[in-house]
Amino acid sequence: MLSGGRWTEVGAPRILLVDDDPNLLVLLADQLRADGFDVQTARDGDEALRRLRSGWPDLLIVDMMMPRMDGLTLAREVKALADLPIIVLSAIDTADSKADLLDEVAEDYVTKPYHYPELRARIGRVLRRLGDKVPRRALVLGPDLVLELHRRTATVRGQPVQLTPTESRLLYALAANLGQTVTTETLLDRGWADTENADPSYVWVTMRRLRQKIEPDPNRPAHLVTIRGVGYRLVAGTAPEVPASSGGPATTDSPGSTESPGSTESPEGEGS
Amino acid sequence: MTERQGQDPQRIGPGYSFRARLTAGVVAGSVIPLAGFGLVLVGAEIARRGSLDTTVGGLLVFFLAAAIILAVLFAYFLAGNLTRPLRAIAQAVERVSGGDLSVRVEVAGEDELAQLVESHNRLASDLARRNAELGRILVAIGETSPRDGLERLITHATASARTAFSMIDASIHLGDPGNVVIEEVVPGESRPIRAVLALPDERLGVLVGHLPATRRWDAADQDLLELYASEVAVAIRNAELFEQVQEQTRQLVALDAAKDDFLRGISHNLQTPLTSIRAYAEQLDGERPDGRLSIITEQSERLSRMVRQLLAASRLEAGTLRPRLEVLAMAPRVRKAWEALGSTGVPFDLQDEATGWLAVADPDQLDQVLWAILDNAVKYGRGAPITARIRSDTVGGRLMLTIADGGPGVVDADRASVFERFERGTADDHPEGTGIGLYVSRELCRAMAGSLDLEPSVEASGAAFTIALPAEPPAASES
Repeated sequence: MLSGGRWTEVGAPRILLVDDDPNLLVLLADQLRADGFDVQTARDGDEALRRLRSGWPDLLIVDMMMPRMDGLTLAREVKALADLPIIVLSAIDTADSKADLLDEVAEDYVTKPYHYPELRARIGRVLRRLGDKVPRRALVLGPDLVLELHRRTATVRGQPVQLTPTESRLLYALAANLGQTVTTETLLDRGWADTENADPSYVWVTMRRLRQKIEPDPNRPAHLVTIRGVGYRLVAGTAPEVPASSGGPATTDSPGSTESPGSTESPEGEGS
Repeated sequence: MTERQGQDPQRIGPGYSFRARLTAGVVAGSVIPLAGFGLVLVGAEIARRGSLDTTVGGLLVFFLAAAIILAVLFAYFLAGNLTRPLRAIAQAVERVSGGDLSVRVEVAGEDELAQLVESHNRLASDLARRNAELGRILVAIGETSPRDGLERLITHATASARTAFSMIDASIHLGDPGNVVIEEVVPGESRPIRAVLALPDERLGVLVGHLPATRRWDAADQDLLELYASEVAVAIRNAELFEQVQEQTRQLVALDAAKDDFLRGISHNLQTPLTSIRAYAEQLDGERPDGRLSIITEQSERLSRMVRQLLAASRLEAGTLRPRLEVLAMAPRVRKAWEALGSTGVPFDLQDEATGWLAVADPDQLDQVLWAILDNAVKYGRGAPITARIRSDTVGGRLMLTIADGGPGVVDADRASVFERFERGTADDHPEGTGIGLYVSRELCRAMAGSLDLEPSVEASGAAFTIALPAEPPAASES
């Protein structure tokens, strides 16, 4: 679906590709260009940071293991500057001890050797959320629920609850449109790559499981509201310290969070 | 007081009260001489006059009566005056035995009562002081934690000993207590005290210090100090053991991290060239289709899966597998895994009897399991058709996938050991493979709260493995 013609109206998405293996770098850049992306390449972290100074891409694809600055360090430095979507290519899998660290800085990661259509599908899924902005800080949705999506955690009644990557992607899409209905189709697009053959039942079942995780009473959802025939809506519960009239969530700074230039579309009610 | 006759305390005097006895004594002491003198007077009067003048008799009786009354009153008040301090002492002792050590009795003068009061007061204040010392010691002991480290522990223990026993100075010397010279007690100068930090099996050191010259130091105080010293010894031993354990843990963690880095490096170094090989083969195949290129793709894929399997096996030992459970449809996953295997020559039949059910599993780990089981089926099935059947267990909320090959099956001798590491079956004529596929697969399934089992062997049919995973029933449309 990311054929060359699709992006021409808005300009091709710019991708900065960072890998120390020249064979792979050339090939992957060719493949991505053939699919209509505007691709720049860098051989290591320092070169990548220099390229970033002359302009921000829409997406950064970075190899995890590189000499000098590794992919994780680069991703952290980039995230400290701006909320740029990052996909990490790595030979590690979910069971690796560094997988959790990756979760904090990367939107997604693809294990090497990747299957190109799979990688392209993941790129598509990450780019679909380009317009969605959620501040990289704790999102207080009520006295019993705080979301920290960039850490893939929710705090429910003071207890930390780990979210799966898909769950946090769905919540991200909902939080970016806080108080508004997000259609099931949009959630399907945001949560799953095209290669995963997902259908709406994936959304329904995942939302049901998510409610069991974060709702005080999953049978009477207060935050994840179903809009029949349309989709879902994330609403902030009325916390005692938040005036009900503001309607927006209160946000608190989480340690290490940075106000990034990209995330200026903060929800109303923030900054009070 | 004890009830037993033989141990009755010494009882003095009859059972009357002190006041009654004193009154009786004073009355007797003043009235008996007066009465005797009266009797002599009466006797002399009768001898002289032959009869008794009623006036003299009346006067005599009157003075006698007045003397008795005065004596009773006087004795009563005197006795009251004498017993008041005694009663106060009794009350104070009562309160001390009840635990209140703050009561002091004050009596003027230097008499025996004052001495009694003085020794009571000293008893109470000694008790109070030792109680306070004991309390401070207990607090000090309660505050020590082996996590603090040896140095902080000793500093803390020294400071606590100083405060608890009101010492001028205190120090703890580790090592043989004999190395620290025993100071002599010189009257008028600060008094040296010491206690060995003793454990049942070892003497760790000695606690020494000085007390103000005016301070009393009894056997009870020494006992208390030695009790404290032995507690300090226990704390020091604990801290030493804790430091050892921590050091070992640190080493293990460092070793684990090094091993993790090593494996990650190996994996990276193997997967990176495989990534290029595969990507170029795919690209060439796309430009000019050639069956040989798809063999390159499949074989590089096989190689990288084996690397991942070895990595998974090492992670299983470390217990660091943390599956990320997502919902996914089983049938397309199985179909995809089969296609990735590239065994186009073998017939494959997939039956989905659980339409709409979604498994709850880690996609990457499930793929590893599917690949291993399907690869196994191809390897041992000798080209016979392979069937995969998906069923649901509505009651248990599980999905079951059974993959059966048409090979000779697993011989009975091997059934128990197929899930062991590095087992490849005695009837094996395919030496390829790592021998850990089934072991890793079973552990991965278990990590996802599922299971992997070998179905009972059936005559004239191949081996059948069943993967069971937690699952969600078909969802009713919510939106």
